[in-house]
Amino acid sequence: MALYTGVAAGDGATWDHLLQNRLVPYTITTLLTLLIAGIIMLGLAVPAAWVISQYEFPGREFFSWALILPLAMPGYVMAYAWADLMGVAGPLQSHLRDLTGLSARDYWFPNLFSVPGLAFVLGTTLFPYVYITARAAFSMQSLATLEAARSLGARPLDLFWRVALPVALPGILAGLCLALMEAAADYGAADFLGVQTLGVGIVRSWQSFNEPNTAARLALMLVLIAGSLLVAARLYQGDKGVQQTSSKWLAPRRERMSRPVALVTTTLCALILVICFIAPITRLLWLAWETDARSIDLWPLLRATLALGAMGAGAAFVAALIFTLAAKRSQFLRMITRLIAAAGYAAPGAVLGLGALFILRETGQALAGPIAITFLIWVYVSRFTSAGVEPLQATLDRLPKNLDRAAQSLGSKGLRQFFRLDLPLLAPGAFAAGLILFVEILKELPATLMLRPFGWDTLAVKTHAYATDERLAQATLPSLLIVGAGLLPVLLLSWRLGATERS
Amino acid sequence: MTSTHPLIADQVTRAFGQVTAVQGASLELEPGKITSLIGPSGSGKTTFLRLLAGMERPDSGQILSGDTVLASATHHVPIEKRKIGLVFQDFALFPNMTVLQNVMFGLNALPKAERVGVADSWIERLGLAHRRDAYPHHLSGGEQQRTAIARALAPDPVAILLDEPFSGLDPSMRDRVREASLSAIRASRAPALLVTHDASEALIHSDTIAVIDQGAILQSGAPETLYRQPGSLAVARALGPVHKIETDQLPTDWRNTLNPKSDTLWYRPEAISLGDGLELTVSGSKLAGPITELCLNLSDAQQVYVACQPGAPLQTGDTVKATINPALFFEFASEST
Repeated sequence: MALYTGVAAGDGATWDHLLQNRLVPYTITTLLTLLIAGIIMLGLAVPAAWVISQYEFPGREFFSWALILPLAMPGYVMAYAWADLMGVAGPLQSHLRDLTGLSARDYWFPNLFSVPGLAFVLGTTLFPYVYITARAAFSMQSLATLEAARSLGARPLDLFWRVALPVALPGILAGLCLALMEAAADYGAADFLGVQTLGVGIVRSWQSFNEPNTAARLALMLVLIAGSLLVAARLYQGDKGVQQTSSKWLAPRRERMSRPVALVTTTLCALILVICFIAPITRLLWLAWETDARSIDLWPLLRATLALGAMGAGAAFVAALIFTLAAKRSQFLRMITRLIAAAGYAAPGAVLGLGALFILRETGQALAGPIAITFLIWVYVSRFTSAGVEPLQATLDRLPKNLDRAAQSLGSKGLRQFFRLDLPLLAPGAFAAGLILFVEILKELPATLMLRPFGWDTLAVKTHAYATDERLAQATLPSLLIVGAGLLPVLLLSWRLGATERS
Repeated sequence: MTSTHPLIADQVTRAFGQVTAVQGASLELEPGKITSLIGPSGSGKTTFLRLLAGMERPDSGQILSGDTVLASATHHVPIEKRKIGLVFQDFALFPNMTVLQNVMFGLNALPKAERVGVADSWIERLGLAHRRDAYPHHLSGGEQQRTAIARALAPDPVAILLDEPFSGLDPSMRDRVREASLSAIRASRAPALLVTHDASEALIHSDTIAVIDQGAILQSGAPETLYRQPGSLAVARALGPVHKIETDQLPTDWRNTLNPKSDTLWYRPEAISLGDGLELTVSGSKLAGPITELCLNLSDAQQVYVACQPGAPLQTGDTVKATINPALFFEFASEST
């Protein structure tokens, strides 16, 4: 898989000025988007995680899992919904005009079709990554440390800035890097909003301008950005900030907020949830209802989506299983596995799609039929295997270390052991892994867009086509189906988070 | 320098749902003195400390620093305004700050120029000058705990509360750290509460001991008083081993000396010593370091336990002569176990 991206990069060896003209602005746009999105994510996630882990206020328990829900929305769906909400004819501007009596030309209104707009969309869908890591970082802190700080006169804000945040920062930044990596890999939202990021550039260079070398150079840059974010995430996660956890007073003792402060906190948390999830979903539901979106024929889309999803998830699951079990056998394999999985994880779909197209061209194959599907599934496996390895590995890590040796001492080995021991033990993790893989593939846009053979439009591809054609109404129903499917793993995740907190 | 006010708990009660963790507890911590609070686990030691510190609110009763009310059923000075120093078993240092920065943390009220000086003088006093710029994860457990004590003392607290501060330390360094820490605390003149489950630590190092059980403070006083004149079996047990003997099993000599009023007596093992007196048979002997624990037969049914230094090894079946010290025999009203 790492070789895969290498092919993509190696082919685009020639430089020219045209290329440079495009590479630099695309890169700057991408970095600027990431910068603003990063600020939005930190601004939403860190305060929310802090108040939820430290204070008691109405709705705290609800928000503690509900704030993860935006993860169910792919960036492009968020972009469609907010584009409609914020459009000139949309409800926000109509109400503004009704209230003020102004006409559309008399006032300034934020434009979603811009770099800050894209950053807003990506920030609001991806901030839960940061929220989850920040929550974990804050609740792992020794309560005694915070109480010691308070006994030395630290006020709540001091406590946050001087004690809690510095200690939690490595974890938070690691989460931020992962979220930014996802943001860098986005194609759908940027394309819809007309922002020329590297992801958009790659697909366009190949499809519209037929400039494979340009595409490859852009891809290299994108891989570089995503890769450095991944490396940064790993560095932050390193052994810095050795945390002392108190065994004695770990039980959360949340401070009760005074009534006005609690009211403001609840309102702000509710506002985040409304902006990042409820408003866009409600708008899509309303649109679907209003425009009688049932008229479009969903059946072929569903069939293609389910077929690709099942094949991709199946293949990626087998790969994840092999990786996990191989890692169990030896430390060296474990390291290699992690490296490969991480490389695939860091490679955006557009880059992998491009790599596949290069290989197809080199080997003189046409992009059609079973070959295209094979390559598409290969891309899915490369990109998502690591997402499947994680829950399997987590299940495995909970098992006693000597289980294998016990089994071997009883004469069990090889395939027999796999079916009798490994598979049943991994079952709970396997369910989560399968679900996550299926939903990730269902949401995947750029690679599917580049590689799908004729007649294999998925929900994501068709939604995107409708939306970019400004037929938003038709896009709503498939969008809602994607979000609905995406909710399943997210709910599973929030249930698991809740369980760790309760235990 | 430090306030010379005592820290006072007056009839403090705190319940969590159905469970009453602290029940009408009263205790006065005197300036410049170390008061140990001992009791079995779950007896309410930690909750009592948390009430004093302001981490919990009392349901009833008052907590005062001198005449100032810190907490009552209606009034609550929050922890960050109480100026009470806290020291925890797990140190609870700020991992992102050096020793100096940790000690300076509570000195915000001082002008910036003075902070370093004050912090340095405490660092010096606790023998940490060479570790001034080190981060907590580079320090040994003892150095971490001395840092925590310097940090708690530096802002000139109205009291200092220590929750099992030495029990997490390696026994080889525990004595030295304890010595350095407690002398610094005494010198600061702040009233100090040392929560511990280690009776010998409490006996050796404190000026006053308070015994807590089931949320109530059973007795408080000088270590010697509590050890020799416990008001109840629970207090006697909290400070060291005690054994039971039925009055009618006592040899006549001993019964005449003790002149007991109840059917059951309790005694500390060192209440019986070898030398002159009654001739008894050894039924067991265990060497426990400086002392030997003997088991002697009074009769077929009754044995007594003796902590002594016999001089030469004793075997089961040997005979020894034993006498008693009546001061270490106790009678308790209405206690069955």
